[in-house]
Amino acid sequence: MAFTDRRKFLFEAGGGLSGVALSWLLGQRGLLGAEGAPAACANAAVKDSPFLPRKPHFEPRAKAVISLFMSGGVSQMDTFDPKPALEKYAGQPLPVKGDIVVRQGHPGPLMPSPFTFKQYGQSGLPVSELFPHVASHADELAVIRSVVGRSNDHVMAHYELASGTVRMGAPSVGSWVTYGLGSENQNLPAFVVVYDARGGPFGGPSNWSAGYMPAAYQGTVFRSAGDPIMDLKPPATVPGGQMKERLALLEKLNRLDAEKNPANSELAARITSYELAYRMQGCAPQAVEIDSESAATKALYGLDNPVTAPFGRQCLMARRLVERGVRFVQLYHGGLGIQNTDTWDAHGNVKENHTQHAAEVDLPMAGLLTDLKARGLLDETLVVWQSEFGRMPISQRGLGRDHNPGTMSIWMAGAKIKGGQAIGASDEFGYKAEQQIVTTHDLHATMLHLVGMDHTKLTYAYQGRQMRLTDVYGEVIPQIKAV
Amino acid sequence: MAVATALPAQTPTVSFDRDVKPVFEARCVKCHGPKMQLGKLDMRTREAAVAGGAHGPAFVAGNAEQSRLYRHVAGLEKPLMPMDGKLSEAEIGILKDWIDQGAPWQGTLAEVVKKKEEAPEERTVRAEARQSWSFQLPKAQQPPVNGAAEWDAHPVDAFLYRTWREKGLTPAPLAGRTTLARRAYLDLIGLPPTPEQVKAFVEDGSPKAWEKLIDQLLASPHYGERWGRHWLDVARYADSNGYEHDFDRPNAWRYRDYVIAAFNKDTPFDEFLREQIAGDEMEEATSERLIATGFLRNYAKVGFREKDNPQFRFDYLDDMIATVGRGVIGLTVQCARCHDHKFDPIPQRDYYAMQASLWGYVEVDHPLVPKPEADAYATEVAEVEAKQKPLKAEVKEIEAPYARQVRESKYRKWPQHIQEAVFTPEEKRTPGQVLLANQIIRTTGVSSAEIDRLMKPEDLKRKKELLAKIAVIEKDRPKPIPVAMGITDGDYRFTPDGAGDEPAPGKGIKREAIEGAFLSDGTKPYIAPPAYFLHHGDAESRGKEMQPGFVQVASYSKLPVELPPAHRRTSGRRMALANWLASRDNPLTARVMANRIWHHHFGRGIVTTLDNFGKTGEAPTHPELLDWLAVRFQDNGWSIKSMHRLVMTSRAYRMTSGFSSAANERVDADNLYWWRYRAQRLEAEIVRDSILHVAGTLNTKMGGQAVFPPLPEETLKSMDKGIWLRQADGEETWRRSVYIYRKRGLPFPFFEVFDLPDQNITCGRRNVSTVPTQALTLLHNEFVIAQAARLADRVASEAGSAKEAQVDRAYLLALGRAPSEAERREGVAFLSEQPLQGLTHVLLNLNEFVYLR
Repeated sequence: MAFTDRRKFLFEAGGGLSGVALSWLLGQRGLLGAEGAPAACANAAVKDSPFLPRKPHFEPRAKAVISLFMSGGVSQMDTFDPKPALEKYAGQPLPVKGDIVVRQGHPGPLMPSPFTFKQYGQSGLPVSELFPHVASHADELAVIRSVVGRSNDHVMAHYELASGTVRMGAPSVGSWVTYGLGSENQNLPAFVVVYDARGGPFGGPSNWSAGYMPAAYQGTVFRSAGDPIMDLKPPATVPGGQMKERLALLEKLNRLDAEKNPANSELAARITSYELAYRMQGCAPQAVEIDSESAATKALYGLDNPVTAPFGRQCLMARRLVERGVRFVQLYHGGLGIQNTDTWDAHGNVKENHTQHAAEVDLPMAGLLTDLKARGLLDETLVVWQSEFGRMPISQRGLGRDHNPGTMSIWMAGAKIKGGQAIGASDEFGYKAEQQIVTTHDLHATMLHLVGMDHTKLTYAYQGRQMRLTDVYGEVIPQIKAV
Repeated sequence: MAVATALPAQTPTVSFDRDVKPVFEARCVKCHGPKMQLGKLDMRTREAAVAGGAHGPAFVAGNAEQSRLYRHVAGLEKPLMPMDGKLSEAEIGILKDWIDQGAPWQGTLAEVVKKKEEAPEERTVRAEARQSWSFQLPKAQQPPVNGAAEWDAHPVDAFLYRTWREKGLTPAPLAGRTTLARRAYLDLIGLPPTPEQVKAFVEDGSPKAWEKLIDQLLASPHYGERWGRHWLDVARYADSNGYEHDFDRPNAWRYRDYVIAAFNKDTPFDEFLREQIAGDEMEEATSERLIATGFLRNYAKVGFREKDNPQFRFDYLDDMIATVGRGVIGLTVQCARCHDHKFDPIPQRDYYAMQASLWGYVEVDHPLVPKPEADAYATEVAEVEAKQKPLKAEVKEIEAPYARQVRESKYRKWPQHIQEAVFTPEEKRTPGQVLLANQIIRTTGVSSAEIDRLMKPEDLKRKKELLAKIAVIEKDRPKPIPVAMGITDGDYRFTPDGAGDEPAPGKGIKREAIEGAFLSDGTKPYIAPPAYFLHHGDAESRGKEMQPGFVQVASYSKLPVELPPAHRRTSGRRMALANWLASRDNPLTARVMANRIWHHHFGRGIVTTLDNFGKTGEAPTHPELLDWLAVRFQDNGWSIKSMHRLVMTSRAYRMTSGFSSAANERVDADNLYWWRYRAQRLEAEIVRDSILHVAGTLNTKMGGQAVFPPLPEETLKSMDKGIWLRQADGEETWRRSVYIYRKRGLPFPFFEVFDLPDQNITCGRRNVSTVPTQALTLLHNEFVIAQAARLADRVASEAGSAKEAQVDRAYLLALGRAPSEAERREGVAFLSEQPLQGLTHVLLNLNEFVYLR
């Protein structure tokens, strides 16, 4: 299908689900229960929907994307970008010309990492002691050490990573990917967001907004406990049996109406949307039904430990969703409760903050990589680990680090990416990216490339312009492109 | 000799004059030379190039790989240079070799321009550019005479009928009165009619029954709540700032109420524009007009470290230009921020001329009381503070020694190396210790309670006495006066600091270097701070100072660009801008608004791209009709209500939406020519309002502070900055949806599901999608279920206990009509086993309920 802005946003019944199918569904106890009905949840045949699977521009390397977003700003010098020079010049001013732009207060002196680095795997990729489990996958990680952003404001930086611009109102990467490719499973939302139980990331729901695109392409929040989607199930005040009767009556009355108004195809679309909603009601809980996993799998994600269990659940949900054809899963770690302790925003004490948060995510992320690989999914899933900006090589009040959009380290894995490589480089202190500077446009171009789309061709007509995720910029990172 | 062949190929020596200079002169000096030094780099002399720009020297002689010049032209670093196109591989090779060979350089370079170009700041638009239909003034069209009496009677029908005849389309018959009543109510006031209202219209035997109904609805205060909402989309209205802190805007609602009132009063649209763009500059700057200036201030705002980030202001101005451009004249003027518009004849000059028209703006809270009262308020506040000042100073003095003690004890809690830095005498600190000590000392705060714990009893006693005195004086502080969130002219460089606004070291505007004041007192004429042309839209790359001006292609007369008001406190540039926008010599404004009105009545614009009348917008399906409407709009004194009357009295508006015709479908399957009425899915707000209204629970109180219907804690957690008051579900929140708090960081979920547009950008036409989450919301949302129960109670009390009567009443209330035989049968069968609220819940989910037909 051509990528045009004239795409219909309406489902049409016709060749899709019929009333008979609905009655059949209504009869399936499984759909109402937690145990689910796997066959019915595989996919629904729908004739036209905003999420119909669409052909990519070229053979994709990955079918799905899992984004692991560490909200608050991860320090590169303390994780994936070792800087021995910081030891040597510890306590001295950062030798640069001009102002050092800090977010809070005043610049401090250079501060070495409180963490030690080791080389891992065949590649010898250096990783700090914060991530021993992720490090065991060193040969699968492509670390990019020269990602630059445009803002040292948490929210604007989040928006830039999410949409390529620091301003509000642009569609997020997940919206672009689902707009471009649709979804493999009509029974589930195509773009799912799971945020930290402590709260949403900086900037809140605008991070998964569809911006100027139809709202249908925005991310759907899955809660990590209870019913995954808001209003997925009837409230306790309405017994399930009653709801079933209401649906049956609704369908009859809507059909009587549609017969009187044969001209109005939207009515059929609306009838279908109720059928899909009903399927979603059964399939969404099943998709995140973590209890059905084996004890070994649960342990792999750290569900047996209260420190790792919350993010472990998010990671395990991500695998289950991707397995079921969800196109884009956006996980956030770090939520706006108490900014300095509940997110990676280590102004006060980088050692304490990063020790705590790395411990929460390290094992679950390693588990996710292991599990995806074991199930043969890693090669067709792109995993991106990122944050909104890096941190300063100089200290904030002796122990903390302030924001630094001058360089950050992110990594990608899966999607047949060559692992064990470090791409780009920051300067000797980790203050600014120096070699092979990678912008968010480059990152987005690369992500689209891996799912089979040319970022210069994926466009959406808006206000007289063919808008792109990458505006008029962006280059696919060659080392990631290389197989 | 064998040696010669064994030598590697020698790189030929590069000649500066022959090889390098032409490249520099043709490609580099334009932006890094006499006219401008983008990035503070000057490439005219070797010394200047070596001294370098903002990012360092242009080259390191002998090492191209380490040279910025080479890295940027070769694409190793971004941005790629030159900005206007990459050098050839040969040229890049020359520059590399030249640097590697030591970068010899003789003389000073001058820019060599191939052909004479108009300066971008002065670029004019040629007359041919006006050929495109939307740039020509609308012509007074004669409605066609088709020889079909019933269609020729109304000009709108006459225009439409001509197309039907040409295309061989058969127009649909008129809809029945029940349908028409529901259509008119939902369209004009956004609430479905009560059974009694339907009955009154159906039984009205007067030949003017329809006209009477329209007049009655236009006189309803609910009209403004419905049609004002359309404009609030254009005005990207919201109650919070957006971005990180999403601060509450406690007075934003006044603008919302102003818009509703303006629609209800039928403020002429030209006046409406003047009030919103320049209300403070009008001769009679009433409270209403000051509130109206909130239009320009409805942009999403960071609201933190604004002074450190001067680029924010450019983005806010860009947002204003985008909103005025798309919203008022249907042009994407904002596309010309960084370069001339790619498709429309809008040079970058026009963008910066418009920016200059707005440049003097500052954010201000306009007092909404007469000036003497406002002055008295300021004086009283100053008096209170003056009385408190010496007392507060004395408190500080008593506290000082204790505060020192507390601070020192806090220093001692830090690790050793930090303590060392702090306690080392200032002159003996290493440069690193200076930084560290500075951070600690400047950020160590001491609370009053910490001090009290250490205080000697007599000091504590004295402090408490002083505080008590301060508190007594505080009681005289006058109550805050009501204010409007608006704009006026001033000098933004003197904007008072807000929360988090203290500039970081080395940042911010050097105020001591300029003279001026935040607001002008009118003792001498106000002069706007200089506005500049920005090359590539880059704030660091200033061009010439810009004079105010308009979009040239849409300017047919030489209107003044500045109309300084008598009070001398503003420039009058915005007034001039508003006058141009609302002028009959502007070809776009009337067309764009007439088209918006048409769109909302007919479900589709004559130009479908409501906010884009440029070349990339859609062409009008009925250009003569659009012109005729635009001219009529102006002739009728820009009265919006007169346009409703005009359009709604056509037969076309009254046609049925249920008509089908295979012949018509073959010619025009999408009904582009309105051969039948286009059914429309109700907007999010109207779905909710309709539910409340039919349930009989709608609280019709108008205006005032926004309301906060309950949201799940889980949802609130996704965005816990800014505010969301925990109001209970009930009468207080069962207000019309236009009064629900618009939080930029957290769109109201019920609305979002039904295609709420992004609240941060101007939007004329909402998307309409049909997705499963809408079904889930109407089926499972507690609000909907609770309202269905209320509706059931209402049905039971009005219809009694007979099942047939209940079904009939439920249909009448929800849909304004009686059920068909089949529907009644199904309903009654359902009620034999299920509760009444099940039936009412189903009705609220019906296609018919959420569609305007």
